[in-house]
Amino acid sequence: MKLFFSLVEAMSVFLVIAYLYCKSPGFKPLMGESLRRRDKLYLYVFFSIISIMGTYLGMPVRDAIANTRAIGPVLAGIIGGPVLGLAVGFTGGMHRYFLGGFTAFSCGLSTTTEGLIGGLVHLYLCRRGPSEKIFKPQVAFVTAFFAEVVQMLIILLFSRPYGNAIELVKAIAIPMIVSSAIGAALFMSIIRDQKNRYDSLGALFSDKAFKIAERTINIMQKGFVGDAPANIAKIIYEETGVGAVAITDTERVLAFVGSGSDHHKPGSPIAASETRKAIQDRQVIFLDGVNDHYCCALSAKCSLDSVLVVPLHIDTEVIGAIKLYEPRNKAFLNMNKSLGEGIARLLSSQLLLSRYHHQQDLLTIAELKLIRAQVNPHFLFNALNTIISIIRNDSARARGLLIELSNFFRKNLKRNADLSTLQEELDHVNSYLKIEKARFENRLVIETSIDPTLLSLKIPTFTLQPLVENSIKHGISQMLDQGKTKISAYRENGFAIIEIEDNAGTFDEAKQSKDGLGISIVDKRIKNLLGKDFGTSVTCIPQEMTRVTVRFPVEGCHE
Amino acid sequence: MMRALIVDDELHAREELEALLQETGEFVVVGQCGNAIEALREIRQQKPDVLFLDIQMPTINGFDFLSMIDQEILPATVFVTAFDEYAVKAFEENALDYLVKPVETDRLAKTIRKLKKSLGQGIRPVYASPEIRSIPCITTHRIKLIGIGEVEFVRSDLAGVYVVSPKGEFFTELTLAVLESKTNLVRCHKQFLINIERIDEILLEDSNSPRIRTKSGATVPVSRRYFRRLKELLGF
Repeated sequence: MKLFFSLVEAMSVFLVIAYLYCKSPGFKPLMGESLRRRDKLYLYVFFSIISIMGTYLGMPVRDAIANTRAIGPVLAGIIGGPVLGLAVGFTGGMHRYFLGGFTAFSCGLSTTTEGLIGGLVHLYLCRRGPSEKIFKPQVAFVTAFFAEVVQMLIILLFSRPYGNAIELVKAIAIPMIVSSAIGAALFMSIIRDQKNRYDSLGALFSDKAFKIAERTINIMQKGFVGDAPANIAKIIYEETGVGAVAITDTERVLAFVGSGSDHHKPGSPIAASETRKAIQDRQVIFLDGVNDHYCCALSAKCSLDSVLVVPLHIDTEVIGAIKLYEPRNKAFLNMNKSLGEGIARLLSSQLLLSRYHHQQDLLTIAELKLIRAQVNPHFLFNALNTIISIIRNDSARARGLLIELSNFFRKNLKRNADLSTLQEELDHVNSYLKIEKARFENRLVIETSIDPTLLSLKIPTFTLQPLVENSIKHGISQMLDQGKTKISAYRENGFAIIEIEDNAGTFDEAKQSKDGLGISIVDKRIKNLLGKDFGTSVTCIPQEMTRVTVRFPVEGCHE
Repeated sequence: MMRALIVDDELHAREELEALLQETGEFVVVGQCGNAIEALREIRQQKPDVLFLDIQMPTINGFDFLSMIDQEILPATVFVTAFDEYAVKAFEENALDYLVKPVETDRLAKTIRKLKKSLGQGIRPVYASPEIRSIPCITTHRIKLIGIGEVEFVRSDLAGVYVVSPKGEFFTELTLAVLESKTNLVRCHKQFLINIERIDEILLEDSNSPRIRTKSGATVPVSRRYFRRLKELLGF
């Protein structure tokens, strides 16, 4: 009985070690899914020490040592596999061997075998499926139990004189088997609990991070404009549960939520030197409230004591900072610190994305202005030359054409709205075509076929005119024969289709990409508004016809 | 009075210019043409002194068109352009003068002085002009451009000049002389030009003159007069 208690005592020492181990950085390898070579070396050293300590903490019994040496190799085997188990077992065994005694050889051998047994259990569990069972205390119990039984058999087999061996086993078998099994099980259960805690912390962390990402992404689409900073700050405040959250640009506080919002006012210049330093040096600044304290520059009554300042970037440019505070009576959680830095990274990439979208929009607007500017001088010039010629013979017609020209430009100027009805687009195109018709006379024939129910269809302004102009500029005007341009609008398979077709067949993709902004910009705008299922497509049979088809939803576009 | 022909693809531009020319009292406008084919015919029939030629025309621009006119009857040429960018090039091509649309009467007066001087000296104009890359031909209802590479041979008879390609035979207003000087087609007979690239074999028979078989199987006569040069070109 005394022996049993002494073994329990040794076991307790191990459990304390196990507990300490779980709190140490050395435990980290066990949190991951798989062990790297370095992790295994780490575990080898650790469990070898456990094994050797088991020998020293044992009790001399009849020229042998009753001990808990087995726990080390068995656990190493279960956790790290046969190689690790064997290595730890061999180390512990060799150590025992050199201590001598009539069981020196058999104990050395059996310790090695126990490591192997643990390793085989590891292999068996891994092959059976999810490796979670490895960390079950029951498994450790059964394995250690069995391993110690095997050890007893080995002692009986190899230790001589046989009589002594029998006596020894009788005395130590039950205490050693029981204490080692329980010890292994408890050791494992401590490891498992710690591992689970880490896992659930991780889950909580990811959960919060995802929630913040999900809630901010819509707000961030337009960038840091309007009340976006205030909304973002509120979300972070709610999700992290910190004392207060602030967002600044490089000069001013854009938003502040939480305790202290009575004196931290949005719109005021940045008061804290930490924030200015973080922005200037592009680095994260953390005042933990223990060694370094945050001192509010605005109010002596301010309860905020710890702060994390993370700069916000777009590309390499710092555009502001995000700040998380905790009051004096609350510790700044490590989790919130990493979460805060993560949020800043998230917001930075969202800002980059929104700037990109914004620039895309600007680009489209610029391109649109460009076609208006680029096209009209040529058109105006040709129109004026035509009218100059007509005035001589038919001044009334010339007057009519000038009115049409005036109409065309008035519509050009007035049409600032993003969307127009098909009717408005057709009116615009008609003014344009009347003038072109005068220029080309019988070389240009225009046909229209419009489904009247589509006249109220809302489409992006300047969809039709660039396409018709393309057809004439790059098509009809290049023809020796009579040119025909046909404009049609109809319904098909639940789509509204607008088509511009000519009989020139001179569409040249290479040329289009160079100077034909027309089609691509029309397409880009429609896709921006409605998605990739809509937009333009071009069919061309060289020397026969070119057809530009524009596809819209029958309900048109929405503002 | 100078006899003038106007070539421009736009009706109103032609009429405007005709009216301006008439007003000066220096010109008789012998015709207006909207495309190169008509213009070649008119030049041959009317033999005008002056050609007012628009540069920006579909398919065959003013420069191309100049290459297609027989040197013998090439009129003094004034380019008319709507776009100033061609102005410099117009001089490079060595046209007599150029006018920018809309034409101003003062500027036209200057052109008239130049024209009178040039025509008074009685020198035939010679303008540098580009190679002809494709030959405009007339089919029943459209003008077809045949790339030089597609041409097997060109023949002429009393009815006119025909371009023969594997796809058929097409009438053209261009003369053999123009085609010989402005393309790489080679004269092999008084009435034939051959595309060397399209020769399949040359048949040499003692009794007859040599004949060429083209890749699509047509036969083209070769006269003794041109045979030596043809052989040189072919490298034997």
